[in-house]
Amino acid sequence: MADACFTTFLVDDDPAVLRSITRLLSAAGYKTKSFSSPQNFLVAHDPSVPGCAIIDLAMAELDGLGVQQELIKSGSNRPIIFLTGRGDVSSTVKAMKAGAVDFLTKPVEREALFSALERAAELDTLSRQKRRETASIAERLDTLTHRERQVLEHVISGRLNKQIAASLGTVEKTVKVHRGRMMAKLGVRSVADLVRLAEKAAIEPAQAPSA
Amino acid sequence: MASLAPDIAIANHPRAPRGDFAKIIRNPFVVATAYYLGAEAAFLVGTLSDKIFAPFWPPNVVLFCALLITDPRRWWLLILATLPAHAAAELRIGMPILQLFVAFATNCSVALINALAVRHLLVEPPWFGSIRKATTYIIVTAFLSPSLCALGGAFVQILGGGSFEQYGVYWARWYASNALGSLTLAPIAMICLEGVKSQLAAPAFRHLEAALGVAILVVVSAFAFEDLPAVATGYVPSLLYLPLPIIIWAAVRFGAKGASGAVLVVSVVLIWRTLNSPSLFNVGTPEANVFAMQLFLIGLSTPILLLGAAIEEARRAETTIREREERISFAAATSGVGLWQYEFATSSLWVTESCRALLGLPAETVLDLNALLSRAHPNDYQTVNAALKSAVRRATALEIEFRVQIGAEGDHRWLSARAQPVFDKDGTPTAMTGVFSDVSSRKATEAEADLQRQEIAHLMRVSTLGELSGGLAHELTQPLTAILSNAQAGKILLDQGHKRVADFGEIFDDIIAEDVRAGAVIHRLRGLLRKDEAKDEAVDMVGLVLSTQALMHSELVTRGICVSNDFGSNIPAVRGDAVQLQQILLNIFMNAMDAMENAAPERRTIFVAVDRSKDGGIELRVADCGVGLPPSREKMVFEPFFTTKKHGLGLGLSICASLAKRHGGTLSLQNNVSAGATAILRFPPPVD
Repeated sequence: MADACFTTFLVDDDPAVLRSITRLLSAAGYKTKSFSSPQNFLVAHDPSVPGCAIIDLAMAELDGLGVQQELIKSGSNRPIIFLTGRGDVSSTVKAMKAGAVDFLTKPVEREALFSALERAAELDTLSRQKRRETASIAERLDTLTHRERQVLEHVISGRLNKQIAASLGTVEKTVKVHRGRMMAKLGVRSVADLVRLAEKAAIEPAQAPSA
Repeated sequence: MASLAPDIAIANHPRAPRGDFAKIIRNPFVVATAYYLGAEAAFLVGTLSDKIFAPFWPPNVVLFCALLITDPRRWWLLILATLPAHAAAELRIGMPILQLFVAFATNCSVALINALAVRHLLVEPPWFGSIRKATTYIIVTAFLSPSLCALGGAFVQILGGGSFEQYGVYWARWYASNALGSLTLAPIAMICLEGVKSQLAAPAFRHLEAALGVAILVVVSAFAFEDLPAVATGYVPSLLYLPLPIIIWAAVRFGAKGASGAVLVVSVVLIWRTLNSPSLFNVGTPEANVFAMQLFLIGLSTPILLLGAAIEEARRAETTIREREERISFAAATSGVGLWQYEFATSSLWVTESCRALLGLPAETVLDLNALLSRAHPNDYQTVNAALKSAVRRATALEIEFRVQIGAEGDHRWLSARAQPVFDKDGTPTAMTGVFSDVSSRKATEAEADLQRQEIAHLMRVSTLGELSGGLAHELTQPLTAILSNAQAGKILLDQGHKRVADFGEIFDDIIAEDVRAGAVIHRLRGLLRKDEAKDEAVDMVGLVLSTQALMHSELVTRGICVSNDFGSNIPAVRGDAVQLQQILLNIFMNAMDAMENAAPERRTIFVAVDRSKDGGIELRVADCGVGLPPSREKMVFEPFFTTKKHGLGLGLSICASLAKRHGGTLSLQNNVSAGATAILRFPPPVD
């Protein structure tokens, strides 16, 4: 069972099916929010709430794949489990390529549904952790001055302070000060830690000037 | 006389071999012999008594009858053959040559004129078959021809030494003698010779009756023409009437034959009485006696002959009508048709035997309309009863087909009934005439064709449902999903020891509702998949449209097609088979969906309208925004095997059109002004 905030968003335009699956998930202890209209779901969607979406593939208003596309467009990577009445290969392929967690055929067994939900919860947790980490790194990076940032880029490309000073047109002592402040702001102790952080933040190392 | 009939009749027979020389020679010989014997018989009468002589001259009748049945091209042979017979007879009594020739010439001329007149005016036997013929015969042979020839015949007496002042008397005698021959001997001879089987010819007891009649007539006549005491006592008139009832009886019972036979009998008896004993007619000179006798017999036989002819005519007409009726009945029976007629005045019903057989009614029972109707199959009884009785009551034409139960095992035959009222001059109906014909074989063929059509329609339904299978599976999956999820939720709650019973109640309610929903889908499907006999029931078209749309719901969703319904109010029901009608709808919807396969998503809408048409019928329109009908080939879409679809068989619309037609409706297709096409299904106003 995932954390208490984990919510399953159910989208199905068949009210009976919607009600029954909501009931099943609630009984199993899931927090659920159900929508009989895909548009309503999209409007009300809050990506920050942890959880996953269970979406019916065939809906009159907007089909499941359309909902998936809309979510991706809005930048959310909420895990999606699709439910379908028919095992349609091309739809399955499309859905999985776009990152769906699973593609379940109705009538769905609870074990299959729950295991898919477990996976979705893991995925959601992971992606949320990743997001959180990336966010904190970005936050710390934002505190750096322009010079400190330049020094960072040179450090992770494995250059010596002397070389950096030469490239930046300053003295070695100044580079040392910047380097110390930068390491402190980012909260890293070693160059190795710094390189890992830079990689997570996708910072390009500075190019060594051609000799 | 009668003995020579077969020979002459054969010679005169159209199929007799021509040029049968022996017969041609023999016939004139036989005629000549008869002529001679006739003359001898007349002379004999003259020699037996001095009071009278023969009242008529048989040889003339012999010659006349011979001429009548002989081909005119050979008449000269007969004349030539009788001349020696005449000469022989007259010479025997010493008649001078000149007198003999004049007598022969007048005899021949009267026979010739009579024969010619009868052949041309009466044309063909039966000579005494009608009043017109008998009247003509009497006028010509008993009045015109003898009175004309008597102008010459009177000279025979004068040549024999008679005084010229007596010319008028001689003329009258000669006339009476020939006229009487034509009225007494000739008719019975002609009837015996005419070769036409009398319509009154009959079994043995008829012969007995005839013999008895002759015997009574002989006795009565013998008594009637008796002797002087009657003359003296003044009972003459009443005595003369004595034979009359017998004669009339003969005429009534035996027609012309009886009449002429009776006349001959009376004549013979009268002559015989007068010859042998004193009678009414031997009181004066022989000439006066004979003349009186002649006038009496002419006066008696003329009306009797006419009466006989009249009766003959009536009998013949009766027979003709009966024969005609039999012919019609026969024709009707052999062509499997039964005739019936209902008389309004008497409420009586006449039917042919074949009609009884068709309906399985017992023979020879008196029938009325109800007895006839009671034969209708119980399922058809109401319809036939109403149709027939209303047609009879309103005197309107009737056309209906119904079943008649044959035997106890539920076998039936199909009859078609058609009837027309018969009106009198004032336009009021007098009768209703109708026919029943057996149309079982046509019905069987139709039923077979119908079965094949149903087979094809069923196959098409199955194939349409095959195309819809994905969507239909989804229709079932939805409720099954809901049922499963509800049940699983219940199980989990139970395991958790959940205490709120109301929650379980809700779960069960939902399970029940969804099961019903799944059941409905299966019910609809089964209806379309089954192969039942077409029903005849009131079908609510709006309900059918909604049910069809429910069946196609998933397919519509998958294809991203919206449906816009517009239903009028007070839409009458269509009579027919719901499955067949739904098949039409299914096909129309499928076509509309297929037509919009490549249409822009926002345009994918099917517009359905059901409403009352102007004539009070039902009109259903299904419009799409698809590709429309192929231009210039709009009519061809109803042709079998014409298709615009890649995998189409081209049978859908042609089958739908025939299904619509079977429900009395029409199916048409037309392109919309903007885009797409509209299918229009029309049904006539319901019959109450």
